[in-house]
Amino acid sequence: MIAAAQPLEEAPAREPTRDEVVQLLQKMVSPSRLSLFLQCRLKFFFRYVLGLKKPKTAALHVGSAVHAVLRSWNRERWLQTPLTLKQLHDEFTKAWTDTSEEPVQWEAGEEDDEKKTGWRLVETYMRESKIPPTLKPDAVEVPVEADLAEHGLPRLIGVLDLVQERRIIDFKTSSQTPNAERIAHTNEVQISSYAVLYRHNTGHRENGLELHHLVKTKNPKLVITPLPPMSDKHQSRLFTLIEGYVDGLDRRDFIPSPGLQCVSCEFFNECKAWH
Amino acid sequence: MAVILSMTYQKKLGLPNFSSHSCSVSVTVEIPDASVAAQESSKLYVLLQTAVDNEIQQVGYMPDASTYGMKPSQNGNGSNGNVQHRPAPSSRNGDAWNCTEGQKQFIQRIVNEHQLNKDDVEATAQQLFGTGVKQLDKMQASQLIEELLEKTGQNKNGRRRWSRQPARS
Repeated sequence: MIAAAQPLEEAPAREPTRDEVVQLLQKMVSPSRLSLFLQCRLKFFFRYVLGLKKPKTAALHVGSAVHAVLRSWNRERWLQTPLTLKQLHDEFTKAWTDTSEEPVQWEAGEEDDEKKTGWRLVETYMRESKIPPTLKPDAVEVPVEADLAEHGLPRLIGVLDLVQERRIIDFKTSSQTPNAERIAHTNEVQISSYAVLYRHNTGHRENGLELHHLVKTKNPKLVITPLPPMSDKHQSRLFTLIEGYVDGLDRRDFIPSPGLQCVSCEFFNECKAWH
Repeated sequence: MAVILSMTYQKKLGLPNFSSHSCSVSVTVEIPDASVAAQESSKLYVLLQTAVDNEIQQVGYMPDASTYGMKPSQNGNGSNGNVQHRPAPSSRNGDAWNCTEGQKQFIQRIVNEHQLNKDDVEATAQQLFGTGVKQLDKMQASQLIEELLEKTGQNKNGRRRWSRQPARS
């Protein structure tokens, strides 16, 4: 169980070679790695193989802080010591100031506005999620993994934000209202991965999934999208995608995918220099 | 010439929590000759079916699925004297864990290294999951590990366990 053994592993004596990194990536896949590989293999290469670090964007920092508060709220709810609004605000402030993992590059005057936005999202969730404070979760931000060797695939890892009444719930912050018709497709890798992870780790089929989008509109809102349990077809599609990921890494297939998504890519300059 | 007619009627019905029960009634009768076999069979079928249907409505003992077989006194070697005592299979004995071997060892290692009170850890499992540490499934064990890491100051945000990989997940 890598999830269990990993924290106590000794740090390697030397930096792994590029091939060693690729081999490790082939042995373990997460929904975000797989999604990025499918989105742009060169971006995947910059982030995961070369490990290029970029400052955290403001949007990502808002998302991280909101996630951290929701985690605390759910955890304390689970321990039956629900947090007050003041305690939630304290948690938010703590999460906001924690930039220990990745620094944030703020533009002048940007941080205060973003901080207000983040806290308004938390308030919106508390007001609109309508989750009873007394309802006990099944799991809160739990790291899980599934050995897919029997399918000839690598280990799948991931973190489930919240599991409640056998429903897998994932929190998201976005600047646009999600499109209800496309949401299942655009989040397919993540949704199917979570369902596989849940089933492997509990022996039960999930009751369904929910995407909780906190939308950063002028008046923030919460959009909850309920989704059915993963179908066999979707599991098969996920496994085929993972197979493609492993094969692609085998071929060292790290070509770019130029397109509209490049506008917000942090590796724009590195990509232009690629040949 | 006497003719022997034998008939068995059996019915098996599903019950909650993957249980089932069945009832079977057999009868052997002697009929005067083969010409009445069909008629007698028909009568016997109705008779036996009625008998089985009357009996099978009694569900009898149904265990609590959340605890049955998890304690020594409930693993089939009960105290009612009807069952011969025999050693419980290894998967049902008190040392079996539901989670992976790696998770088991990791939990034990945190407990030992930080000298945590095992009763407190057991109480945490009961509080969070309503069951003991050994009965936790893999997801619950992973969650317990997160809790123990947090209690012992090794995990501040719940995502650190993936952070030693060559790439962020």
